[in-house]
Amino acid sequence: MTLRAALLLLLTLVSTAFPASGQQPGVTDKEILIGSSNSFSGPLAFTGEQITKFGVDLYFKVINDAGGIHGRTIRTIYYDDGYRPQDAVANTKKLVEQDRIFAVIIPQGSPPVVATLDYLEENKVPLLFPYQSSPVTRSKRYVFQGMTLSDRSSKMMIDYLAGPRKLKKFAALYQDDEYGKSFLTAFEKDLGRFGLKLVAAESVKRGVTDVSAQIAKLQAAKPQVTFLVLVPGPAAQALRERQKIGWTGTLMVSTGPLTDERYLALAGDAAEGVEGLSLWPDPLLSDLAGVRLYREHMQKHFPKNEPNRYSIAGYFAGMLFAEGAKRAGRNLTRDSLVAALESIKGYESGILPPLTIGADHETQKQGFWVRVEKGRFKPLTDWLKSE
Amino acid sequence: MTTAALVHVVVSGLATGSIYALMAISLVIIYNATRTLNFAQGEILMVSTFVGWTAMQVLRAPLVVVLIVAVAAAAGLGWALERLVIRHAISATHFDVLIITLGLSLMLRSAAGLVWTHDEFPFPSLFGNRPLAIGPVRLAPVSLGIIGASLALMLALYALFRWTRMGRAMRAVAQNQRAARLMGISVERVYSGSWVLAAVVGAVAGVLIAPVVFLSSKMGLVAINGFTAAVLGGFGSMPGAVVGGMLLGVLENLAPLYLPSSIKHSVPFLVMITILLVRPSGLLGRVARRKV
Repeated sequence: MTLRAALLLLLTLVSTAFPASGQQPGVTDKEILIGSSNSFSGPLAFTGEQITKFGVDLYFKVINDAGGIHGRTIRTIYYDDGYRPQDAVANTKKLVEQDRIFAVIIPQGSPPVVATLDYLEENKVPLLFPYQSSPVTRSKRYVFQGMTLSDRSSKMMIDYLAGPRKLKKFAALYQDDEYGKSFLTAFEKDLGRFGLKLVAAESVKRGVTDVSAQIAKLQAAKPQVTFLVLVPGPAAQALRERQKIGWTGTLMVSTGPLTDERYLALAGDAAEGVEGLSLWPDPLLSDLAGVRLYREHMQKHFPKNEPNRYSIAGYFAGMLFAEGAKRAGRNLTRDSLVAALESIKGYESGILPPLTIGADHETQKQGFWVRVEKGRFKPLTDWLKSE
Repeated sequence: MTTAALVHVVVSGLATGSIYALMAISLVIIYNATRTLNFAQGEILMVSTFVGWTAMQVLRAPLVVVLIVAVAAAAGLGWALERLVIRHAISATHFDVLIITLGLSLMLRSAAGLVWTHDEFPFPSLFGNRPLAIGPVRLAPVSLGIIGASLALMLALYALFRWTRMGRAMRAVAQNQRAARLMGISVERVYSGSWVLAAVVGAVAGVLIAPVVFLSSKMGLVAINGFTAAVLGGFGSMPGAVVGGMLLGVLENLAPLYLPSSIKHSVPFLVMITILLVRPSGLLGRVARRKV
């Protein structure tokens, strides 16, 4: 290659990487472009598909059919990272630098999201409602956390179990990554307030074939409660393993991200009696106005897709983005979106309790207690508080 | 740790190990005949299990039919891959063929994702999940069933290699391809036969393990453990593959009982490295000496 050609190439690369300032990326007269790196393969493929294509996109279909937001329709773009942090980083850079999206919406999984956090914050790209639970996303200028964070979940779970339920011996089976560890740290801290500690904690690697050793070790510690901080596949394996050895003396409790009928279907009758913290009202049976509307929209656009807690989370994320973009007005910029979201007070979604976004930038702080009866989670309490 | 718990964990490890052993055997069958590694072995297992499962969804077929459909699908897939792809690379180096099979594995996994999505599905088991109590020991029928079925299949394979013309031809080709050809054995038929046989063994392993790890496009990754098992036992040796698989399954389960769980996945490899240092050809392998 001649020197001139090389220089020309360099120039083209530089000019596409740093476009003229002043123009807001991802926003044109007619369109807003947002997207994320997500799991469309790997252990969370089902969740990824549901929160994006059947959740966020479902809500945007409704918005776009009604004329969009201030004359702009919303378009989304997603890439698959298979729950691998390195792929999430590459995808996110591609979205920001090549596709030039306006904001990142609902990327999934603690390890992938945490890996992209600094990059997005430095480049002032809004990271909206990540579907993960590590508290490192709290109180960042351009981040609005989606799912209830692990420290809040842990507080509600332990306050409830060690409080009214008067249970004393706790153990945990956790995934050996940021997701598992952020819960483990929070459990230790909250149990400490009751003068308790975990009697056993066993880790599970992703893609495991056999969890019998971990379950045997947990059983030997005789806990009254065993927390499952896992993704659906291994969690269902753990429940079946417990059934295999006939271990009935412990209450299995699933964390928020896990609490959906999906993993119950994998575990079959081994899931009966499992309890958990649900972050979303029952998507199939709740008669809350927002949930009924969500079901109507799902029935209209994706009649074959059964409502679940994942697609409703994505639907809610789409709803919050639309609310922020509406409030920001026609002159939509990344900073005006942040200001608009910060102005949300007592917002009625009809799905979750009234939402006020404070300095911590968290959009979800509650959950309620459920128990599995005949393959579905039945509510046992009203919304629990984490503040 | 009580003895009862220990017994359960070891039996569970033997069940997983049986699957590793079947995967190792299927890798070794193809390796012995063609001297190449088939990296698509796990994906053949996955696709044929999915085909069997689809038959169940569509026809409401019982599990025995599912097994037959999966085996037939595997045989067809193994034959087609060998005949349509690998055969054309017969004069290529082993390394080229290895890369081709790696490509096939990626293609099969993506295709499965398109057809069946990358989701996980529950898969019915031939054996129950509720424990049988034998004294203080509790054993799951599913573990015993996997071990029993695997051993039966291994015996059938032994008989096939020992007493059938095809089996003898396969062993002859494995020992010396040129001599086998001079004796009138069709090496091409042995190539085909070995791919079909390996795929069928994989399909049985798939139907056995799917109720435990669930049916998904990524279940083919179990072939990696099969590869480790084959190396542990001495690559090329059938008894070695069985011993290697069982050993790997039990080790994987015993390690986290006495060591932190996070070490579970490195112990088998530490053991493998140690064994290879002491016996470079694996536990039951023979050192291949080539005359120059």
